[in-house]
Amino acid sequence: MTKVLMKGNEALGEAAIRAGCVHFFGYPITPQTEVPEYLVKRLPEVGGTFVQAESEIASINMIYGAAGTGVKCLTSSSSPGISLMAEGLSYIAACELPCVLINIMRAGPGLGGILPAQSDYHQATRGHGHGDYQLIVLAPASVQEAVDLMTLAFELSETYRNPVMVCADGMIGQMMEPVEFPTEGRGEPMADNDWALTGSEGRERRIVNSLYLSPEDLDAHNRKLKAKYDLIAEKEVRHELYGETESPDLLLVAFGTMARICKSAIDDLQAGGAKVALFRPITLKPWPYAACREAMDLLPADAPVLNVEMSMGQLIDDVRLAGEGSRRVEFLGAAGGVVPTPEQVAAKIRELLP
Amino acid sequence: MGYIRIERAVCKGCGRCIIACPKDLIEFSEEINERGYQVVTYKGSPEECGGCTLCAVACPDLGIETWNNRGKQTFTVTTGLTEKMTHYCPGCTHGVVHRIVAEVLNELGLIGRAIGVAPVGCSVLAYEYFNFDMFEAAHGRAPAVATGAKRARPDTIVFTYQGDGDLASIGGNEILHTANRGEKITVIFLNNAIYGMTGGQMAPTTMPGQRTTTSPFGRDVEDTGMPIKVAELLSSLTTPAYIARGSAHDSKHSVRLKKMIKTAFQHQADGRCFSFVEVLSTCPTNWGLSPNEASAWVADAMMDYYPLGVIKEPAKEPATAPAKA
Repeated sequence: MTKVLMKGNEALGEAAIRAGCVHFFGYPITPQTEVPEYLVKRLPEVGGTFVQAESEIASINMIYGAAGTGVKCLTSSSSPGISLMAEGLSYIAACELPCVLINIMRAGPGLGGILPAQSDYHQATRGHGHGDYQLIVLAPASVQEAVDLMTLAFELSETYRNPVMVCADGMIGQMMEPVEFPTEGRGEPMADNDWALTGSEGRERRIVNSLYLSPEDLDAHNRKLKAKYDLIAEKEVRHELYGETESPDLLLVAFGTMARICKSAIDDLQAGGAKVALFRPITLKPWPYAACREAMDLLPADAPVLNVEMSMGQLIDDVRLAGEGSRRVEFLGAAGGVVPTPEQVAAKIRELLP
Repeated sequence: MGYIRIERAVCKGCGRCIIACPKDLIEFSEEINERGYQVVTYKGSPEECGGCTLCAVACPDLGIETWNNRGKQTFTVTTGLTEKMTHYCPGCTHGVVHRIVAEVLNELGLIGRAIGVAPVGCSVLAYEYFNFDMFEAAHGRAPAVATGAKRARPDTIVFTYQGDGDLASIGGNEILHTANRGEKITVIFLNNAIYGMTGGQMAPTTMPGQRTTTSPFGRDVEDTGMPIKVAELLSSLTTPAYIARGSAHDSKHSVRLKKMIKTAFQHQADGRCFSFVEVLSTCPTNWGLSPNEASAWVADAMMDYYPLGVIKEPAKEPATAPAKA
């Protein structure tokens, strides 16, 4: 395997093809537009389908239609576009259809700005559409990890018949890094199954539907979904522990681009003897609560946890849930496209260290 | 001698067959069926019926089969629909259009390749009636769902079945762009000038002056605009398409409607173009009319504004490529 220098958004598109996805439906929005711009040229080479939809509402419903016929499919967008996809995501999750969506987060609320942010953390992990459903949410911290997580995203979506979001920020989408793809060429299509609508010739007809007029039936459907989400939470949590992982004096928690900046701060401080660890959730949903609590337990009794995010206090909710009140959780955040520097993170760490 | 067989259990007592019979051979009986409807019965002498099928064509509930003078069955209930009784009100023409779509797919040999997309509205449960693969879509989004399915599986025959609230209001953008992209799908659009499922609110297609629960003094076009003629609107697009408007309000028009729907699906099967059939349809319950009054209202109040016929057809020859600059 050789390394190639690619922009994050383009690498995400290529990774989808390597994972066997050749059906893309999407709508332009900064800072993810290079995903469709890459795929519109690349997909014809592998016999794929590209549709520029009239809106994100349409693109997510095209995904619903394509996923319902049992093909691997992809859409991509950025924050305001994901808001418009909320309705469709609820239907897709309710019907248990596999698909992958890329969210290259930008700053909000409202029209906000086009610079990187993590302010759709709540949207990704709690929000979007109506009803009791969950996505699987994967958060890369580099272009290489974005590629690796795209492969995983298609695997998980098919295994669990659930939509998976690869949730990065504008920094990851826009920067160029050397990447290595795990496989050559177009990956395998989705395996045959007993639920996809393909035309009922020679078999019983199939229905893709989320309407349950009987409350008992809908309750049972929700319990079935909950059991699946519980299984995902049991088997699919992923995280990274970085820095002083034996006996740290302070634990940082951050994800994506912000986690990478925290690593730089830790590296800079290590020369001066500071013992700092970073806990980085890779799956934002399901969240690695138990692993985070274990990392917190490495700390001395009264040592704090420092939560760092490119938003105004969203990730911190899960950090507090992980700590269950056992830890003081300090906050460092920025919004609007402002990205905290390693120096700012290091200064905050110094302030908190004994 | 011809004859008809009336399936009493499924009869909803709408009486459309009584009006349809050219020889006046059907009447209401004294019998009330299990569902509480007063069922119809054949009243003539056996030799009078020629098995012309007009009663069966009018029936929205697949309640009648017919035989001609030589004993040949002239109308058979289609296998393209399930045996489940529809939830539609007596005299609602959804059942007629369901039947026509199923018959057409059967006759064209397309049923094994068919994927239907049900909307939100009265026909939200269409997936229980069409006897082949079905989606149920979010409100107004059926054309986008159909786009995804057809692009992913080009060999399937994909259609949406939508009402006027779904297609002309909340789904206005999806239908416009699906037509403009020339998606090789078929759209069956029922225009009954009202929101049915939510109980009779004003639709984009509601007639001027028509009373609904949200236009209780009659639709005020100064305030709400004029009814949208969706078939004409879509016909204004330059992309080639087959666009027609028929009506299901009586048997004669239902026969013509079937030809339009057949042509629409044939265009899709040939991979030719986007195809769209608007169907003027009845809503006796929310119009506050009897089934037969409702049929008359379609003819009297709707047809002038919504003229019937083929509005747009794809060119016989493929369009020539534009000259290079």
